[in-house]
Amino acid sequence: MRWTKADTTQYIPEKQYIDTVIIPLIPFDPGNDQHMVKQAFQRELNQVFTNLIEKEYKGRIFLAPDYYYLEGSQADEKERINRWIHKFKEQPFHHVFLFTFDSKWKKYEGELEGHVLWVPGMGSGDIQSTETQSFVREQAHQISDLIQAYW
Amino acid sequence: MSDKKRVSRRQFLNYTLTGVGGFMAAGMLAPMVRFAIDPVLKTKEGGDFVSVASVDELTNEPQRFEWTIDQVDAWYESEVQKTAWVYRNENDEIVALSPICTHLGCTVDWASNEEYPNQFFCPCHAGRYTKDGTNVPGTPPTAPLPRFEFKVEEGMLYLGETKDSGGGV
Ligand code: FES
Repeated sequence: MRWTKADTTQYIPEKQYIDTVIIPLIPFDPGNDQHMVKQAFQRELNQVFTNLIEKEYKGRIFLAPDYYYLEGSQADEKERINRWIHKFKEQPFHHVFLFTFDSKWKKYEGELEGHVLWVPGMGSGDIQSTETQSFVREQAHQISDLIQAYW
Repeated sequence: MSDKKRVSRRQFLNYTLTGVGGFMAAGMLAPMVRFAIDPVLKTKEGGDFVSVASVDELTNEPQRFEWTIDQVDAWYESEVQKTAWVYRNENDEIVALSPICTHLGCTVDWASNEEYPNQFFCPCHAGRYTKDGTNVPGTPPTAPLPRFEFKVEEGMLYLGETKDSGGGV
């Protein structure tokens, strides 16, 4: 399920079945020429990933709106994320996953109220290439196995 | 006097804004009118058959085939990945099933649950379907898996739209 009119309408009467939420965590720094391209690529990759997982598990996973933050601001952001998580848990969602390529979150995992799903991203590449596609498929497969282990 | 003839600033703005607004309204109305009077005019691109596999590849065991189509929605065009489970049944007829669970839309897998090696299994809420796509009573789905329309030409299998298999158990 996604944050769209059609899906949220379907979600509400069936919420007992949709107990898992994935929040994509996406860093960016619009002031930095050096990191901009890489960050934009990671954002695209993150969306391909989470869309794939959502499509496969549409009836049980809700894909939250993307959570954007300035690169490196983990210490300030953790409380805001926890506020998001509390709101989702009010529904109630039982499993909250934070999906990110940003390894800095690992250090904060203990302070976050969701599970961090960290995947080492690809440094660069072409989002359309078969190499990227097989990377995404392989990783998405493992991520969904991991999610299912919580069910 | 001459003041009267000059278009005041306010009047000028009024004229131009009405002009722009009217133009915008016309722009918005035109497509709405078109959809309203003739919904058939909307292009529909889902009706095409797409070659998915060679018929020699088909076995009695359902296999997963994937392909992409360009889907045109009202606002944008996107590439959509489609999947089907295809096999030959006991009568050697081709069966092409949609993998989308009729409960809430997860993707079902063939024989992925050890306890039910001859069924389609939905990982989300343990929905099950027999090999011909009929939903197993007592599991969440209430309708069978939809079937794809298909045709065979020159040894290739072409799949079209899905249609509800109706009924349900
Ligand atoms: S979505 Fe398949 S059993 Fe619920």
